[in-house]
Amino acid sequence: MKVSVFGCELSGLVTAGLLAHTGNEVMALPVGNVKVDDLEKGILPRQEPGLDQLIANQYQEGRLTFEADWQAGIVHGNVYILSMPSWRADRAERVIEEIGKTARKDVVVVNQSTFPVGTADRFQASIKLAFAQRGLVAKAAVVSMPEFISEGSAINDFSKPSRVILGSSDQDAIRLLRDLMRPFNHVTDQVKIMSTRAAEYTKYAVNALLATRISLVNELANNAEHYNIDIEEVRQGLGSDSRIGFSYLFPGCGFGGPNFAADVETLVGSLQSKGYDADLLKVVLENNEIQKEVLFRKAWRFFKNDLRGLKIAVWGLSFKPNTATVDNSPSVKTIEALVAQGAEVVAYDPKAGPAFAAYWGEKPGVTLVDNMYDALQHVDALMILTEWRRFWSPDYDRMFELMNRPVIFDGRNIYEHSVLAEHGFRYFAIGRGEVI
Amino acid sequence: MGVEQSPAWQALQVHCDSGMGSAHLSALFNEVSRTEQFSLELEDLYVDFSKNRINEQTLSLLVDLAEQQKLPTAIQALLTGEKVNDTEGRPALHTALRADGQAVSGEAAKVQPEVEQALQKMAVMADKIRAKHWRGYSGKPITDVVNIGVGGSDLGPLMITHSLQTIDSPVNLHFISSIDGTQTSNLLKSLKQETTLFILASKSFTTIDTLSNAETAKDWLQECIEDDAVIYAQHFIGVSTKPDKMTEWGIPPENQLLFWDWVGGRYSLWSAIGLPIALKIGMPRFRELLQGAHIMDQHFATAPLAKNIPVVLGLIDVWNVNFLNIHDKAILPYDARLKYIPSYLEQLVMESNGKSVAKSGEKVAYRTCPVLWGEVGPNAQHAFYQLLHQGTQAVMCDFIAPVERDDIDEGSQSERNESLRHQHQLAMANCFAQSRVLMLGDDAIPDALKSAFDSPFKHYPGNQPSNTILMKTISPKTLGMLIALYEHKTYVEGVIWDINSFDQWGVELGKLIAKEAYSAIKDRTLAEGFDSSTKALIDRVAK
Repeated sequence: MKVSVFGCELSGLVTAGLLAHTGNEVMALPVGNVKVDDLEKGILPRQEPGLDQLIANQYQEGRLTFEADWQAGIVHGNVYILSMPSWRADRAERVIEEIGKTARKDVVVVNQSTFPVGTADRFQASIKLAFAQRGLVAKAAVVSMPEFISEGSAINDFSKPSRVILGSSDQDAIRLLRDLMRPFNHVTDQVKIMSTRAAEYTKYAVNALLATRISLVNELANNAEHYNIDIEEVRQGLGSDSRIGFSYLFPGCGFGGPNFAADVETLVGSLQSKGYDADLLKVVLENNEIQKEVLFRKAWRFFKNDLRGLKIAVWGLSFKPNTATVDNSPSVKTIEALVAQGAEVVAYDPKAGPAFAAYWGEKPGVTLVDNMYDALQHVDALMILTEWRRFWSPDYDRMFELMNRPVIFDGRNIYEHSVLAEHGFRYFAIGRGEVI
Repeated sequence: MGVEQSPAWQALQVHCDSGMGSAHLSALFNEVSRTEQFSLELEDLYVDFSKNRINEQTLSLLVDLAEQQKLPTAIQALLTGEKVNDTEGRPALHTALRADGQAVSGEAAKVQPEVEQALQKMAVMADKIRAKHWRGYSGKPITDVVNIGVGGSDLGPLMITHSLQTIDSPVNLHFISSIDGTQTSNLLKSLKQETTLFILASKSFTTIDTLSNAETAKDWLQECIEDDAVIYAQHFIGVSTKPDKMTEWGIPPENQLLFWDWVGGRYSLWSAIGLPIALKIGMPRFRELLQGAHIMDQHFATAPLAKNIPVVLGLIDVWNVNFLNIHDKAILPYDARLKYIPSYLEQLVMESNGKSVAKSGEKVAYRTCPVLWGEVGPNAQHAFYQLLHQGTQAVMCDFIAPVERDDIDEGSQSERNESLRHQHQLAMANCFAQSRVLMLGDDAIPDALKSAFDSPFKHYPGNQPSNTILMKTISPKTLGMLIALYEHKTYVEGVIWDINSFDQWGVELGKLIAKEAYSAIKDRTLAEGFDSSTKALIDRVAK
């Protein structure tokens, strides 16, 4: 099949790469700031495990091409895929206009982006209207196929989906897309067909439910501390209940990332602007923002409300492991709060250092280092903000030697209190460790 | 010799007795060019005083009176920092607070470095709180700031922040003033200790009203915070002229903002007392407020008397009070954002000029400050305007209104904008209609409707004088100009009446007797020396 993918951010590139990998002729067209030259050289806008290799291979084998001219994309594809950040519906709008003005045959557009409910219907109507005005007799279908990929496991998430949602009432379009997704739907049939709006709403509903679950677990953990309870024991008890399960049950210092929270926020905003209730989700998001500073607050109390002149090490800047992204990451808020109180921060992250440096700019107060132990020289405390694998079993004795004060604030609950205590550390975590 | 026996005063009396005293505004408005002649404009402020019972000669005689009373010298004395507050032996240098080092001389120039230093310390605090980097004891950022102060330490910030409510604030502001515990206890129910910061604003730092509310706030914080040092360091800021007293109370020096005894309480919103304003609108816009006031200061210093807005409005008040026997003044803002302007001006004007002893110590033989009150105009139309239109006393009015709303997106046709635009026009129409009817009375009735008003109960005598002050918009700059205008106008009247506008001895005795009464409530035997009425009242309260 000939596929044109509009949008070369993470989701667009994963889609383009994997569809090329299964034999389709894919043309990927950047919408926004990404440059074709860079893509051809293998310089990708997002770091993602396995993505460099996938794109390089498909490009070399000729099934994947990059193209700046949308016209070429419109001529090329039997299927057009829209893959843009949730807050850039304006870009999709421009692609849709272009298709309406210039397409010469039946079109099937697939929207993977998380746009407000009703967008796909609106796009479909707009293409049909443009066709009618041009006197073109051709069909137009805009299908909603929400993506459920996560940074760090995007390739796996796309190629082994737990479900593929197709939102459309157009049988021809559905048949076409079933066929396109067949290689990823081989073992058992995972395709769920529903109305376009239901598909769009499902994407929001999933994010809303997950965000709520994380925030609730965080609140349970924060309060467990007041009763001297280790939330880890409670987590075992909770997860083993088959109605609840273990996933998304880890308390921590808040969720971040470029999409997840932003999507829920978009939903809350669009509901409230129409006068509908979204009170619970609003609180979920507010609590998450407060939770991002939980380690700052522990340090604030531990150091008796005076952080001036202290040196604090931070391990982990990305919003989750295996990504180089710091958008909405707890590290941003925490480090801003520490520096505003006069503390000095030395930070290490396996991948996200450059992204953080770009965000932080020339402001003083933060030094980035290339080695996790280099961050610990003469510091008064260590904060763990991202659970990168390499942080799980460090050399405790070496840490103890390096640090000025052996104090650890663990925002991801990756250590055992008793073990750290043996090594001479004060240990504070989320719903466990010492109470402060 | 009192001013009432002076040649200029006598000349005005003759002018009044020979016709002006009984002239009707309706007749005066037969002159075509009257509005041009009796209005002044300064940047964003337009002042129409043509609806007063004056003519060219009145104004000229009033200017003679001002010159006789050496008003130009008095203006210079005020602005350069001479000890115009003679009963307390100090200057009244509020104008120095907003000069930004520009066009100042004498004491006003000398204090510029410390004024700037205080503004900078205030800016650091305001920025930190606005950026959500001022933390409560638990480490959460402060979200609510409560100003505890009374009189000048309350009304100025309250009036300005309320007036600028359309500017989004990153923190919620609250004001507590009254000595009874109601405001405090109601407010604290809705706040959380960990995110609340209190500003203790008191010039003397001995004001019982403020300190009693501060103690209640401290008790409330102690419910959650064990360490008092944390309470003082993270939850209190002090603003006062008395650093020692703040330190004694517990406020650490880094949380202290200072002003000086040469700033009168009712003139203090331009100093660190304005911290709530800076928190609401940010320090750069607070400086716009100061700049607005400075524009008026410069005008007051340099404009000729007959074209000097505060001078002209002050002289007209004197004419109304002393020659036309009008002893009441209503302040009528036509925008709900200006709701607290009347209360603010009640203090500014009546605490400044509510006096009956001349600078010589002799009792004055003439009326001084009128009784001043007011309300948002459109609301007052449904309350006391009946008295203005048909009551037995004459009342002079100040109408205050913004020409346009700056919170409307020009070009936007949204329903909110349309309603705001529409309602603004309605309010302006009411404002202009009221001053017209107050002036013309029955003559405002259209001929076609005259028969419908043919009843003694539907008779409108009119002839109530008024000023109309139009501000371009309600902004920090225009508010600065407006408040400085009233400050200077008040001073002008004080100079003509030969009284000290900057002391307030009248409020002292009550404070002293309140202490005695408090002791008597606690211990009834101490009420024995009181009069029978007070004693009976104390008996009903004492337990």
